[in-house]
Amino acid sequence: MNKSFRQSMAWLHTWTGLLLGWLLVAIFITGTSAYFREEITLWMQPEVHDSTLQPGTIDMALAALNAKAPDARSWDISLPGPRQTAAELRWQPAKPPEDGRRHRGEQILMDADSGEVVAPRATRGGNFFYRFHFELYGIDRLWARLLVCLATMFMLIAIISGVITHKKIFKDFFTFRPGKGQRSWLDAHNATAVLALPYHFMITYSGLLLFMTLIMPWGIDAAYENDRRSFFSEVFSRGEDAAQPGSPGEMVAIGPLIEQTETRFGKPVERIQITNPNRDNAQITLRVNRDPAVTDRQRGGDPTQVFQGNTGELIDTHIPANDPVSPGWRIYNFFTSVHMTRFADPLTRWLFFLFGVAGSAMTVTGMLLWVSKRTQQLRRDQQPDRALKMVNGLNMASITGLMLAIAAYFLANRLLPVTLAAREDREIQVFFIVWLVSLVHGLLRPNRHGWIEQVAAASLLWFAIPVVNIFTTASHLFTPLAWQHAAIASFDLVCLILAALGGHTLWRLQRKPLPAKARRAPAPRPFNTTNPASEQPAGESP
Amino acid sequence: MTMAPPLFLALALAYAGLTSLSLAMKRHHDQVMGRKLQPERVRYYRWPGWLLLALSLWVTLTVWPLGLALFMAVGLVAIAGLPLVFLLPYRARLAGRLAVALPVLAMLTWSTVALV
Amino acid sequence: MSPLSITSRTLAAALGGYGLASLSAMALAVTLPMARDQAVIIGIMVALLLCSGAAIWAFSARSAWRAWAGILAPGVLLGGLYLWGLPA
Repeated sequence: MNKSFRQSMAWLHTWTGLLLGWLLVAIFITGTSAYFREEITLWMQPEVHDSTLQPGTIDMALAALNAKAPDARSWDISLPGPRQTAAELRWQPAKPPEDGRRHRGEQILMDADSGEVVAPRATRGGNFFYRFHFELYGIDRLWARLLVCLATMFMLIAIISGVITHKKIFKDFFTFRPGKGQRSWLDAHNATAVLALPYHFMITYSGLLLFMTLIMPWGIDAAYENDRRSFFSEVFSRGEDAAQPGSPGEMVAIGPLIEQTETRFGKPVERIQITNPNRDNAQITLRVNRDPAVTDRQRGGDPTQVFQGNTGELIDTHIPANDPVSPGWRIYNFFTSVHMTRFADPLTRWLFFLFGVAGSAMTVTGMLLWVSKRTQQLRRDQQPDRALKMVNGLNMASITGLMLAIAAYFLANRLLPVTLAAREDREIQVFFIVWLVSLVHGLLRPNRHGWIEQVAAASLLWFAIPVVNIFTTASHLFTPLAWQHAAIASFDLVCLILAALGGHTLWRLQRKPLPAKARRAPAPRPFNTTNPASEQPAGESP
Repeated sequence: MTMAPPLFLALALAYAGLTSLSLAMKRHHDQVMGRKLQPERVRYYRWPGWLLLALSLWVTLTVWPLGLALFMAVGLVAIAGLPLVFLLPYRARLAGRLAVALPVLAMLTWSTVALV
Repeated sequence: MSPLSITSRTLAAALGGYGLASLSAMALAVTLPMARDQAVIIGIMVALLLCSGAAIWAFSARSAWRAWAGILAPGVLLGGLYLWGLPA
């Protein structure tokens, strides 16, 4: 490959990476947490932890809905599973609200053991991070999404140009040379980028695809004569609206229907939907968790059986694998469903979480590499200029600062009074205040001291989470309850792992006696070297 | 959790395959084996490496349906490869031993689970 | 690269790249011989790749002029393809 081509790609990689790198770090870290968004929400609502699916749960749920909303347009019950302990009951009121907007209906959580309604503390839970990773917070949603899409496109360009830049991609496949400053960061950046390259490409490309109607709607307009709605109804239709309510009528016992569906699909029923309950035209829809068949249609992709409510007669059995899907849509389904991982069982979800960690590590090491490279290029007597200091400070805020803010968000969840007004907003305020403080701190101390302080603070906060948990909940690591629901104990364990990683980093930062540049900097080199290629002969082992 | 044993095996095989491939490279052969790699011996490490990776893919295909399995097989390479990359400079010998121990352990686990 | 060249290439990558991608999405949507919903989705998937590909090209071409030429020429072609494929 010709040298100037690779150099221009290195330049492109460096600058697309830096320009929106901070945003990408935040997107990657919050997006990685979103694999566990329901588990995070569960952890943040300890009031519902002591609840387990029982044989009587479904009957209790139906009784609760009958008491709350006997004449609702529809009922919807999500049963406890690996990701939630309580039963979630929702209903559409008989009369739609006056404001005329599409209403999301009412929702309560029910203890699966006792059938009592539980009112957990108010929190946005894991949804806050999930939303943040594609529409940030507090900015107009449309602009935020466009900004995230732009960052994603930069990421795609950085991936391609990065591969071209990396000339010894196979020779350096397993190479990590520690303790060599810039060289080590480059090795770590390469390893996390190259080994997980298919994941990085998938998550980036599918991220763009998920917003295709926002960023690339022109093909739809061209083929559908500017009628986007008919495109959506053609490909994403959710089926017909429910029929108008009929006259009052009895419904059959649901037990045998559940049994029938579970036998048919060989999986437990996870969701029960009843349209026009207590009417003679009631319909009962039973869903089981979808198969990990990622190329199948995803919307309405759960295996489902529909029964007539008053007779118990089976009306329809929907097996997503039997739906015809054209090759083009199969590719689209593959990318988007692997991005969202709705199909994943807990084990697969953990693997995706690890992929996300690798992705986060790639963006983080890339940012650190930028500073490390330029610090090492400084002459012995030269101080870093303002731009380099600023990048270093922003790095700190986007990496350790974000980790600090996330930990503070979780701690706020445990420490703020449960009955505090607008509690969920307060949690988010804590998150942003801590993030802002870390940004100011980073800009004031853009050096190793700053890093040491922030890493120390972050390790402390992450360690504090499971500790505070002991004093504030009845589902901490020393209770059987936390281990009964793997998600709850795992959360605390991840906090401890993060704290330990922070502690290890701190130890390594402290141990180094002098800044790398003072020891390593060889003969004076012009600061403004024009070689942007990340390949540096310095420190290359034979 | 019936998918855990085969998944463990797939990961172990991926790790072993990658280690074998790294042993076919001069730098890492020195690190792990403590002696120089003879050029004519490269194939003794390269072919088994690819074979182990192929086996890992084959096991992965039993865990997930085709489309996801292909993606996950490549993903397992990352999950197995990153520890290897960061072990090599610090504990190269351990990295080599794990390549033998992990697949054996995984097969033992699987057969134990299957028998019980 | 001079600042002027960088500016020009950046514009080529951003505006040219996005324009080229949009034209390809439109052209493929109306010309691919298959059901229109599938033609649309394939067009979009190709367009997103083209958009990043165009940026790569804009910064790898030997000069800023060549960068623009390499984006405008296929753009004109795709535009023609789109007009040709439009239902009469």
